[in-house]
Amino acid sequence: MADYDVLVVGAGLAGMRAALAAQERGAKVAVLSKVHPVRSHSNAAQGGINAALTDRGDDWQDHGYETVKGSDYLGDQDAIEVLAQEAGREIIALEHMGVIFSRGEDGRLGTRRFGGQQRARTFFVSDFTGQAMLHVMFEQVLRAGVEVLDEWFVTSLVVEEGRCAGVVAIELRTGKLHLLRAKAVIIATGGLGRVFEPSTNGLICTGDGMSLAYRAGVPLMDMEMVQYHPTTLKGNGLLMTEAARGEGAYLLNSKGERFMERYAPTMKELASRDVVSRAEQTEINEGRGVDGCVFLDCRHLGKKFILERLHQVYEEGKAFANVDITEQPIPIRPGMHYQMGGIKTDVDGRCWDMKKRWRGVPGLFAAGEAACVSLHGGNRLGANSLLDTVVFGRRAGHCAAEYASQEPLKTVSQARLAHEEERIHALLSRNSSGDSVAKIRLEMGQSMNEHLAVFRNQEGMETALRKVRELRQRYDRVGVRDRGRIFNMGLVFALELGAMLDCAEAITVGALERKESRGAHFRTDMPERDDEHWLKHVLVYHTLEGPPRIDTLPVTITRWQPQKRVY
Amino acid sequence: MQVKLKVRRYNPEAENPVAYQQEFTAEVEAYSSVLDALMYLREYVDDSLAVRCSCRGAICGSCGVRINGQATLACKTKVVSVAPHGETITVEPMGNMPVLKDLVTDMKPFWDKVRQVTPWLQPEGLEPEGEYVVPPESMTHLNGVMGCIMCGVCVSDCTALEVDSNFIGPAALAKAYRFAADPRDGESQERLRALNEYGGIWDCTRCMECVEVCPKGVAPMDRIMALREKAMAAGFTNTYGARHAEAFSDSVKEGGRLDETMLAIRTIGFFNVPKLLSMAPVALRALVHRKLPMPSPFHAPIPDVHQVQRIFGRLEKKL
Amino acid sequence: MKYAFFPGCVARGGTPELYMSTVQVCRGLGIELEEMVSASCTGAGVLQEKNRKLGDTLNARNFALAERIGLPIMTICSTCQGVMSQANKRLREDAGYLAEINEVLAEEGLEYKGTTEVKHLLWILLEDVGVEALKRHVVRSIKGLRIAPFYGCYMLRPSDALGFGERPERQHALETLIALVGAEVVDFPGKSRCCGFPILTINERNSLRMVAKHTGEAKDLGADAMVTPCPLCHLNLDGFQPKAAKQRPTGIDLPILHLPQMLGLAMGMDTEALGLKRNIVSPKKALEKAGVQM
Repeated sequence: MADYDVLVVGAGLAGMRAALAAQERGAKVAVLSKVHPVRSHSNAAQGGINAALTDRGDDWQDHGYETVKGSDYLGDQDAIEVLAQEAGREIIALEHMGVIFSRGEDGRLGTRRFGGQQRARTFFVSDFTGQAMLHVMFEQVLRAGVEVLDEWFVTSLVVEEGRCAGVVAIELRTGKLHLLRAKAVIIATGGLGRVFEPSTNGLICTGDGMSLAYRAGVPLMDMEMVQYHPTTLKGNGLLMTEAARGEGAYLLNSKGERFMERYAPTMKELASRDVVSRAEQTEINEGRGVDGCVFLDCRHLGKKFILERLHQVYEEGKAFANVDITEQPIPIRPGMHYQMGGIKTDVDGRCWDMKKRWRGVPGLFAAGEAACVSLHGGNRLGANSLLDTVVFGRRAGHCAAEYASQEPLKTVSQARLAHEEERIHALLSRNSSGDSVAKIRLEMGQSMNEHLAVFRNQEGMETALRKVRELRQRYDRVGVRDRGRIFNMGLVFALELGAMLDCAEAITVGALERKESRGAHFRTDMPERDDEHWLKHVLVYHTLEGPPRIDTLPVTITRWQPQKRVY
Repeated sequence: MQVKLKVRRYNPEAENPVAYQQEFTAEVEAYSSVLDALMYLREYVDDSLAVRCSCRGAICGSCGVRINGQATLACKTKVVSVAPHGETITVEPMGNMPVLKDLVTDMKPFWDKVRQVTPWLQPEGLEPEGEYVVPPESMTHLNGVMGCIMCGVCVSDCTALEVDSNFIGPAALAKAYRFAADPRDGESQERLRALNEYGGIWDCTRCMECVEVCPKGVAPMDRIMALREKAMAAGFTNTYGARHAEAFSDSVKEGGRLDETMLAIRTIGFFNVPKLLSMAPVALRALVHRKLPMPSPFHAPIPDVHQVQRIFGRLEKKL
Repeated sequence: MKYAFFPGCVARGGTPELYMSTVQVCRGLGIELEEMVSASCTGAGVLQEKNRKLGDTLNARNFALAERIGLPIMTICSTCQGVMSQANKRLREDAGYLAEINEVLAEEGLEYKGTTEVKHLLWILLEDVGVEALKRHVVRSIKGLRIAPFYGCYMLRPSDALGFGERPERQHALETLIALVGAEVVDFPGKSRCCGFPILTINERNSLRMVAKHTGEAKDLGADAMVTPCPLCHLNLDGFQPKAAKQRPTGIDLPILHLPQMLGLAMGMDTEALGLKRNIVSPKKALEKAGVQM
């Protein structure tokens, strides 16, 4: 048994930033991840990170307002103010850590434009900003000597006397189950892309942390808000960065028209992602697509510019679509990309409410895509997710260290470990029903992508919910063929599927609950936003028996009153 | 379409844990990667097949394996490109590292090497209030090496590591270059000094395997060459490696051609008698076989050597 | 069939038997050679470590000399071939760079227009002479001999400079030739690895380990001899084999043939003329197996 002040689950940008912040405050920290830190999905963020640097004439309030507008007024404005105000200092901190941000002619940080924003305030490293940041963050973890438990998989959170007291985790290399006690646990496990098929997300994005917190008693909030990115590759659904459009690329339909002029006359290709994705899907549905796709046209940007600033998508196009983007438009379509919702937290990452308006678990924290503060509301702006990870990762780390300094370690009975041992053993010794984890995952993913995509309706969402519940029953009978302990990836996949099914159900019941269209949640049967009834968050609580319990919370509005959203 | 694979399996928990080849057939699409094929096997044929993977897009660096004998990322290798006529694709774990299970290798030695190059920025003096102001091209220049995803593919096929596990290796050295070439770093002199040591930049054989296999165009060997140049420019000239480069250059400059006997003597050093003597049996054998001309500082130059010397004169950067 | 012959420094220095056997074999095959006596060293990648532009300029000078007499260059060294191919690629792909280098050459009364082809003897044999013609010259079967190929790094890498796109068969050229002369190919993973020569004077221990590893591996797989198109590899694998052999309790004793030595044997040439006595590890026993006395 190992003891920590703060244990961080997930070692992407949010997790490592949190671990560094907690260690900085004197806590004994470990960061645990099912993969090595640099394999984390933060890598895949391409285009950049937003910040309004006031010393060069930008205003954090503009950034804040555009984030609020992007969220379709569902984002909590107190949280968005924190995000926008702290962005500048975080960018400078990243630069000092060693991130090789692109520069302007004067040698100072350069910016590019991104969607949903009038001003160029996106800082970047070519088009692999996430990777460049993630590797530097890992360098800092090495420098600080933070303990890293890589290739460990958490099977459950330990809650004692209503407070989080640690985790039970499998060390994948040996297959051994460990009880890790901690005064505070921070969940930073990222997103849930694999709930959908296809998705831009990596195979590791399975919503594990969301499910862990959900089952421990924390509500998942605004789970219906699933972002479809406007430019994903046809075959395998990989991401083509928004930076391409930020740098001036066009979207064309089969007739060669820049169709965004009709949907968003001012911002065109740089309208918010929900708007662009809906426009593309409309073009495709109305017969102006080719093979279920429209086109991203980069040709006029020139080869030299593309190779310097969009190198990765250039390589991606060549390797995965057989298209040289300097010479040809590339077929793209909207694809599942990001979960705006997640584990409900406050602005310091706490998964419980100091004012008791909602129920949570003291001692548990969350940050990054796994969390829902809520910054992104109904639709996240491009380049706000990297910012989210570092600002709220740091805040969660600081707060968790402070919390831990005032909490004793709780006694945890060994029975917790024995209970998990039994559960895993049961799964491993269960005879296969002839069904497979992969089949269930695929059916779930396809159903979600059919019914909870860019356009939704009551009937479709009900179909999806029935499907998810049927799959849950099949899941309870599925077996794992690998009976070994060492690197039993079949076991991990089965456990991940359990988490994904939790997330799929939360997304679907949340979506059925919200009887309006807002941000990414667009119902063809209720196409209008309804501020009178639905300017509020949807919370989904896990229950031991029966369907999830639904609750709502008002949206925090500080300075920006809801308006009609036009781009 | 169907694809045939021969996968190297290893189950450490088997009664008799030995590696073996297993043949499979996978169902894939025309655009599928070898990783897709492996995923198919894991998902529908045998869930005990261990392979690391995540992003599917050559960004996370998890799925380094050897395909048909050469290290690469499984996700970046299209099935049709390695088996255009339905050939069987051989998939094995990466080399130069221990195998834990099937295609999963132990990356600990890899990360230990990375740790060895002090892989974080060490700025000099106090941090500025804002960002460091540096030439824009100095950052763009680092894009290439920062593109490294630490997949281990270069390390897998490194010919120097194959015979000497002390060699820091291409990935970690490329990482070292990333700091040595960063204008914000204040420790490049110390870094270069350390890299001059045994196991460092001079142990690279320039075989280009790392350049060839790198899935991200990082060209680790070119970074190692750049580190050598930087080390020599920083005054670290008293190594066999630096003397070798210098003697080589001098030899070509003097005679237009290389005089390999003199090259050896100059690299080792005229006065390094024990080392020279250790080479003597080899030289003696060569003389007996009438292979080598007697060592001579008066190696016959090529005709028109003055042209070569003038070109040197114009382009040579004197150390 | 006529070439501007670029023997390289080592064939003119430490491996005179390579020079001899090349001349013999080319004469036998009717390949006309005009030796580039004024050509300089390619820099072997070492010069390029310090100063790439200097290296490229020296190569451009060599290319210009060949261009002037209107002949493609023939090399007999993997390193020369690789370094020249890379330089040629850089010069041909970047007109600005070529112009810059031509400014330096202009002062020597030279200009490189970018038309010179550089081809290793190995490729010339298979592509220009041709398999059928070669077969006609093979008069002495060396069946029964098991030969391991050893390429030398720069004959294989970087692949994008070596014309593998249009001629993928170059990647197996040695095996093709071994089979063509009637011997059996001993395939082994070390064939594409480094021989250790470049670090011989820098890290002798590692260099010798490479020699022992590759020659030992081939020997264990039953090879009677090894063939290489690279004199640098030869210097190390042959010259340093006795020293490296001390690492193995059973020794090694694997003769290393130069490419033209192997071909010359199959063409029925005299072992003396092919310089086989100059090889450090004697091929005597191996040749006896093929019925050749030396």
